[in-house]
Amino acid sequence: MTEIVSVTNLNKTYPGFQLKNVGFSIQSGRIMGFIGRNGAGKTTTMKSMLNLVHPDSGEIRFFGMDIQQDEFEIKQRLSFISGGVNYYAQSKLIVISDVYRRFYPSWDESLYQAYLARFGLDPQKRIKELSQGMGVKFALALGLSHHAELLILDEPTSGLDPISRDELLTIFEQIVDQEGATVFFSTHITSDLDKCADDITYIQDGKILASMGKEALVDSWRIVEGKTEELPVELRGRLTGLHERRGEFSGLLRKEDLGMASGFKVSGADLESIMVYSERTATSEKLAV
Amino acid sequence: MKNLLYKEFKLSVQPLNFLFLAMAAMLLIPSYPYEVAFFYQTLGIFFIFMIGNTNNDLFFTTLLPVRKRDAVRARFATVIILELLQMVVSVPIAFLRNRLTNAPNLAGVEANLALFGVAFVMYAVFNLIFLPMFYKTGYKTGVPFLVSGVAMGLVVVVAEAAINLVPGWKAALDSIGPAYLPQQLLALVGGLVLFVVLTALAYKMSVERFEHLDL
Repeated sequence: MTEIVSVTNLNKTYPGFQLKNVGFSIQSGRIMGFIGRNGAGKTTTMKSMLNLVHPDSGEIRFFGMDIQQDEFEIKQRLSFISGGVNYYAQSKLIVISDVYRRFYPSWDESLYQAYLARFGLDPQKRIKELSQGMGVKFALALGLSHHAELLILDEPTSGLDPISRDELLTIFEQIVDQEGATVFFSTHITSDLDKCADDITYIQDGKILASMGKEALVDSWRIVEGKTEELPVELRGRLTGLHERRGEFSGLLRKEDLGMASGFKVSGADLESIMVYSERTATSEKLAV
Repeated sequence: MKNLLYKEFKLSVQPLNFLFLAMAAMLLIPSYPYEVAFFYQTLGIFFIFMIGNTNNDLFFTTLLPVRKRDAVRARFATVIILELLQMVVSVPIAFLRNRLTNAPNLAGVEANLALFGVAFVMYAVFNLIFLPMFYKTGYKTGVPFLVSGVAMGLVVVVAEAAINLVPGWKAALDSIGPAYLPQQLLALVGGLVLFVVLTALAYKMSVERFEHLDL
């Protein structure tokens, strides 16, 4: 496993929004989910990584190369898919692929034809005739057919029905297992990640709260519940996203603080509860990287 | 670059751009402000950008393994090719017009080399205004086209006024035949030089603006 992406101290200020010292790395052959609520900075981070947005500072390296210096070579080796395909809606797939393939010396036409067949895509169809799920598949077929080593996808599953989502996530797994590619995709649908992610990078309000293996992240938190009147002040101060109603409380607690929660109901956390509880609290620093 | 140009002509250039080449036929109208025949192609170029917005052209282009400045360069090449094509198509029609009739053009300058010089200045001004204004935002097309259209109109008014008012220009530049060929050639070369210089300046401005733009 080698590091194929590293983002260091990425800063970008917009009026009313800021990316603050964003940093994380992606290892090859892994599926990394990039989670955060709407407006947390997922798309800005991705666009900054690809030089579509100019960061104020920071370093972005792909395959050991700096994006500022080796943009062309880096972009030959990755594929960025933003949503589905929302360009040239009136054009046929065959026309888009005819244009697209010319930019990649590594284009593999027989592989492309194989993906079209596998995904059930008719090259004579127009982009506008594709459902959202089919659009993402077409974008994947394009990316995979130039042997992209890294697929960066911005919200590929949002708006898809559960079956299409599941199908897409299975394709991600196959891409990683069979093609040896790496997948980095943003989502706010945590069940996507429960299914297929190896690693999670969690961004909140422009800051990275956690970037680690999914199992380790999930395992480092517990949900504690009990009666509010029994909640000691010390434990109250340690709970993330404390929620109180009708004399009952619930909150997220670090695994190492479990000793403080004896006598209360403790259950395992999942990604959704970690995200919901930590978004609920203002003291976001609690989920240290 | 070759690939980007292929993309431009396969996806971005519209049938209208080729249809507007036929507007060169307006040079056959016996009396007409012939500069208008050259204006239509800038309308066609405006359509490329406007329809490009609808098609998310910039988004598609920047997903490809190209630098932002490459996208600007390919679009400039497309614009220049269309403008030059308009010129090339107009040349035989101007000849034909002058072969068909000896009657002077009562509405403006004759279909001669000086007219092509004026057309080059029109395109130079269009490129200098429309393209950098578009690349400042990456999506605004209406106001840039309005401003560049008015500026092209001013070029025509000033050129026609100068030809009619500057002593000696009327005879030299508003005539057909070999007698004043050197003067008309000078007007053509002057227009061409301005076209090259202002388009190069427009390119430099557009690249700088587009590079700074967050997409």
